[in-house]
Amino acid sequence: MAVDVPTRAPEDTGERPRRRQRSSQRTWLWGSLLALPTAWMVTFFVSSMVIVVLLSFGNTTRDGFPVFGTTTENFSALWDEVYLRLFLRSLVYALATVALSVLIAYPVAYAIALHGGRYKNALIAAIVVPFFASYLIRMYAWKALLSDDGLVNSGLRNTGLGDGIELLNTPWAVIGGLVYGFVVFMILPIYASLERMDLSLIEAGKDLYHSPFRTFLTVTLPATRPGLYGGMLLVFLPALGDFVSAQLLGGSSTFMIGNLIQQQFAEGQNWPLGSAMTVAMMVALTVLMVAYLRATSSRAREQ
Amino acid sequence: MARARRLERKPAVAVAVTVVFFAWLYLPILTVALFSFNDQKSLSAFSGFSLRWYDDFFHNDALLESLAASLGIALVSAVGALVLGTMLALGLERVRSRRGRVIGAITLLPLVTPEIVTGVAALLVFTGVGLKLSLGTVILAEITFSIAYVTVIVRGRLANIPLEVEEAARDLGCTPLQSLRLVTLPALVPALLASGLLVFALVFDDFVLAFFTTGVDPQPLPVRIYSSIRFGVSPAINAVGTLMLALSALLIVAALLLPRLFNRKSSSLDLITGGERR
Repeated sequence: MAVDVPTRAPEDTGERPRRRQRSSQRTWLWGSLLALPTAWMVTFFVSSMVIVVLLSFGNTTRDGFPVFGTTTENFSALWDEVYLRLFLRSLVYALATVALSVLIAYPVAYAIALHGGRYKNALIAAIVVPFFASYLIRMYAWKALLSDDGLVNSGLRNTGLGDGIELLNTPWAVIGGLVYGFVVFMILPIYASLERMDLSLIEAGKDLYHSPFRTFLTVTLPATRPGLYGGMLLVFLPALGDFVSAQLLGGSSTFMIGNLIQQQFAEGQNWPLGSAMTVAMMVALTVLMVAYLRATSSRAREQ
Repeated sequence: MARARRLERKPAVAVAVTVVFFAWLYLPILTVALFSFNDQKSLSAFSGFSLRWYDDFFHNDALLESLAASLGIALVSAVGALVLGTMLALGLERVRSRRGRVIGAITLLPLVTPEIVTGVAALLVFTGVGLKLSLGTVILAEITFSIAYVTVIVRGRLANIPLEVEEAARDLGCTPLQSLRLVTLPALVPALLASGLLVFALVFDDFVLAFFTTGVDPQPLPVRIYSSIRFGVSPAINAVGTLMLALSALLIVAALLLPRLFNRKSSSLDLITGGERR
């Protein structure tokens, strides 16, 4: 990495060896900077993942204490209709969240990036700020709004539009909560790729007498595909593992994998089974992610 | 002219969706904030302005203890993540080796791992090595999770500082450590402040990791709030929630504005030369 272009007059003969020494000093410096954070991440992240995998083959003693082992019965226990239905439900909820997020995020990102004018940054900030402020409180806000004596139901009652409807404990409440929680991860990448786009392309499309809709399909959408794909992944990952939305806005009929895992660790106290669920979720996520990345990158190559 | 107008025409659908989106985004939050000032218990009929729920909060020792715990966790985690994340960013940006790329990928993993997995894994590793669950274990888990944010932000800034500036410092007789301390770090100040504030805000109201790694007493504020709202809604929580939202929003606004503030005053190069003149 040393720059060998002499910046001073070449009569300075001591220059070269000294530089080399400096360069090795520097590599030493940067290398040592890496050591502590790497050790930290290995101790607290990598090894913790290894422990989860190891414990998923363990079992519990009679008084519920988790011990390591070599049994696969935790995984075979997962092959159960109750659990499989729950896994499928989580997958459907997460995919619905992604689909709804795309439908919301694309128009919002489009309107702000292309027509936001000088308010662009302010508008994006107005989206980002509440999104990064407490997720829990925002879920609570929905619960308060939709609850039986909340604003929506009492409004319905006061205007005589019926006796109020049960809004909580429905799949839509849970999916709505997930969208509300994570849609920002879709808006930001789409916005970024719209910002980077060459706007004269749209103009060119219109010059060729494309309708606005056709221009969008053939020009804008392909140009923002990387942002769209990235956003889909960023929404899907947290949505699949979430348990707060289903806990606060749903009920046992809308529970997701996250709730199941959380129960094993916090209530059920079957840690090895909970670990197996976690591993199963991670395996499913990895498989889906690899398949997804393959598909999207080969699409991108075709472009 | 006609073409220009066609391009200028605002897409009605997109604008409409955006307006509805903003309403949807702010309606629940503003409702919580509004009803935190209600003088009755009702969450639907606003009968009069009152600070009674805030008063309740400031006389509730358990909640205040949780607030103090959360602020402490956020402060220590932000400092820890800042130190480790900056070291990592410097190392990764300057050592461009294969090993560096592997380390870089590992440190980004927490960002794409569902938080519940990180939480479960942290719980297992702490109990595995016999650490008693407490605020300390929450801090360890939060630092691990937050390093990636700092690294991403600082690396982005670092990539914009030309290497030549460091080389120049070296030519003027600085040791590598001196050039790091006198040249690189001052130029990173806006990024460091911004990422520190961001991590503070994220950790302060993080629930999932805290939920899995906390001990019994005192619990971080989000965990305490969660256990009381699981089964119902109460106006007292509106007050706490409004305070939490306001604090995080302030911190995040500050994090967004800070780099800009620095940039307007002077470019990174000016910061460096200013430092040298001293």
